[in-house]
Amino acid sequence: MKVLYGFEYRRGVSVIHRIDPRSKMIYVILFTALTVYFVNPLLLLLVLSSSLPIVAISRIGSRWSQSIKGSLFFIAFIFIFNFIGIVWATGSVYDAVISGISMSIRFIALISIFSVFFLTTSPEDLTQSMVQVRIPYDYALTFNMAMRFVPTLSREAQIIMDAQKSRGLEMEKGNLIRRIKNYIPVLIPLIISSFRRAELVADAMESRAFGASKKRTSLYVLALGKRDALFILITVLSFLLLLSLRLVLGIQ
Amino acid sequence: MILFEDVSYSYSPGRYALEHVNLDIGGAELVAILGENGAGKTTLVKHINGLLKPQSGRVTVSGADTKNSTVAALARKVGLVFQNPDHQLFAETVEKELAFALVNFAMPPDEVSRRVDWAMKEFELTQYRDRPPFMLSGGERKRLALASVLCYDPQILILDEPTTGQDSRQKIRLASLLKRLNGEGKTVLVVTHDMEFVADFIPKVVMLSKGRVIAEGSAEEILTNRELLMGASLLPPQLAELSWDLALQRPTIDLEQVVSAASKLVGGSQR
Ligand SMILES: Nc1ncnc2c1ncn2[C@@H]1O[C@H](COP(=O)(O)OP(=O)(O)OP(=O)(O)O)[C@@H](O)[C@H]1O
Ligand SMILES: [Mg+2]
Repeated sequence: MKVLYGFEYRRGVSVIHRIDPRSKMIYVILFTALTVYFVNPLLLLLVLSSSLPIVAISRIGSRWSQSIKGSLFFIAFIFIFNFIGIVWATGSVYDAVISGISMSIRFIALISIFSVFFLTTSPEDLTQSMVQVRIPYDYALTFNMAMRFVPTLSREAQIIMDAQKSRGLEMEKGNLIRRIKNYIPVLIPLIISSFRRAELVADAMESRAFGASKKRTSLYVLALGKRDALFILITVLSFLLLLSLRLVLGIQ
Repeated sequence: MILFEDVSYSYSPGRYALEHVNLDIGGAELVAILGENGAGKTTLVKHINGLLKPQSGRVTVSGADTKNSTVAALARKVGLVFQNPDHQLFAETVEKELAFALVNFAMPPDEVSRRVDWAMKEFELTQYRDRPPFMLSGGERKRLALASVLCYDPQILILDEPTTGQDSRQKIRLASLLKRLNGEGKTVLVVTHDMEFVADFIPKVVMLSKGRVIAEGSAEEILTNRELLMGASLLPPQLAELSWDLALQRPTIDLEQVVSAASKLVGGSQR
C-alpha cells in the first residue's frame, strides 16, 4: 500500500506544481510513447532519467522514491517471468537477461513519469483541465473522485483489518485457502462502506444542486502561461532528441 | 490492570498523537475517556489491545507487556468496539456476525449459540436474527457491533463512542449493562463526547488533549471544572452549568443536590 503514497498529491510551491496539467499531460503522453517504442535498455534509461530534473525542481524526492521503491517488488516478478518466457521461446539466456532488464527499466520509467505527474498535480486542477479540454464534467469528476478515494480506501482497509483483528481474526493463520478466506471479513466491509460512501456523496451533491444546470461555471480557470510554453518546448525538444537517437542512429 | 508508562506514539514524524502518557486503570473500574476531536483517544485505546505498540514507553495489561503478545491473544481479554460499525460488520446474518468472534476463539457450538442468544436479547436484536447486518438502521448496526464484542465476555471492555446515534432508551440500557458488567468485576472504558452520558452514569474520567493526559479523577470533580472543559473544547453537562448559574459553592453534577440547592435559593420548601 505504501506505493500509493508515491502518487498522492501534496501541496507544493515549485514551478512544476504551478505548470498547467495540460502541459504536464503532454510530457506524460510523449514520454510514455517513448517507453513503449524503445527497446534498448540504455535508451530506456534515458527516458527514465528525463523525470529526474522534474523530481529535483519540484522537491518531491522522498515521495517519488517511495513509488520507485514500491515498484521494485513488481520488477522482481516482471524480470523473472520475462526471463523464463524468453529462455523458453528462444533458448538464449543473453537475450533473456537483456530483455528482462529492458522490461524492468521500462516499468520503472512508466511509474516514474506517472508518479511525477500525480505528485505535482492537484486533483482539482486535473479535473478542471479535463473540463477545459472538453471532457464531460461527469467523467472528469468520476476520475477525480476515484483518485481521491484511493488513499481513503487504503486507510479504511487498515481500520477494518484492525477492527477484525480485535475480534480475534488471525489473518496469517492457516494454509493458502484459509488465508484467502481470512480476507473476506475485511473485503466485505470495505466494499460495502465504499458503496455506502459513494451513495452518500452522490446524495449530498445532488442536495447541493449538482446537475441543476447544463453548463457550470468554475471558480478558477486554468490559463497557459510563459512557463507552460517553456516547459512544453523543453519537453518536445528532448522528446525529438531521444526519438532521433533511435531513428537516426538506428539503435533499437 | 492497564498501565501506561511514559507512552509516546506518532503517525507521522514531528506530530505526536500520544505524548508521554502515564495512566493506571485498576481492576474493576468504569472510566470515561474524554477529549476533543483528534485528542488521541482512539490511538490510546488501540494500544490496550496491541493494535498499536508504543514507540517509546511501555503498555502492560494485567502485568504483561503488550509488545510480547499478538492482537489475537490480547483480544480474548480486551474487547475493543470500533467507532464506526461499518468497519466491522460483514456476515450474511446478524446471528453469524455475533458468532464471528466466538468461533475465532474456538468456543464449542452450544456455548456459541448460548452467547449469541444472550447478546441478541441484551441488545434487542432478536427480531433481526436472520437479516443481513447492512439492512439494519444506523443505531442498530452500532448496537450489533457492540454486541459482537460483548458476547465473548472479555475481561476488559473498551467502547469507542458507543452512544452516537442511540436514542435515550438505548443509552440507558447500555449504561445499565455497563454498570452490571462493571459490578461483576470487569474493567470498562468508554471513549465519548457525550457529556450527559458521562455525568449520569460514569464515575471516573480521564481527559486527553493534544495527545496528553491533562486530567484524571472523579467525574464530579472534572466535569465541574470550567477551565479544563473549555481547554478541551468540551461542553459541560447541563447540571454543571446550572450549578454555575446558581453560583453554588460546590458545583455538582448530582441532580438531587442541584435541585435542593435551587429550591433553597427560591425560598421554597424542599421537595
Ligand atoms: N492512521 C492514521 N494516520 C495518520 N494520522 C492519524 C491516523 N489516525 C489518527 N491520526 C492522527 O492522530 C491524532 C489522534 O487521532 P485519534 O484518532 O486518536 O483522535 P480521537 O481522539 O480518537 O479523535 P475523534 O474524537 O475524532 O475520534 C489526530 O491528529 C489524527 O489526525
Ligand atoms: Mg476516535
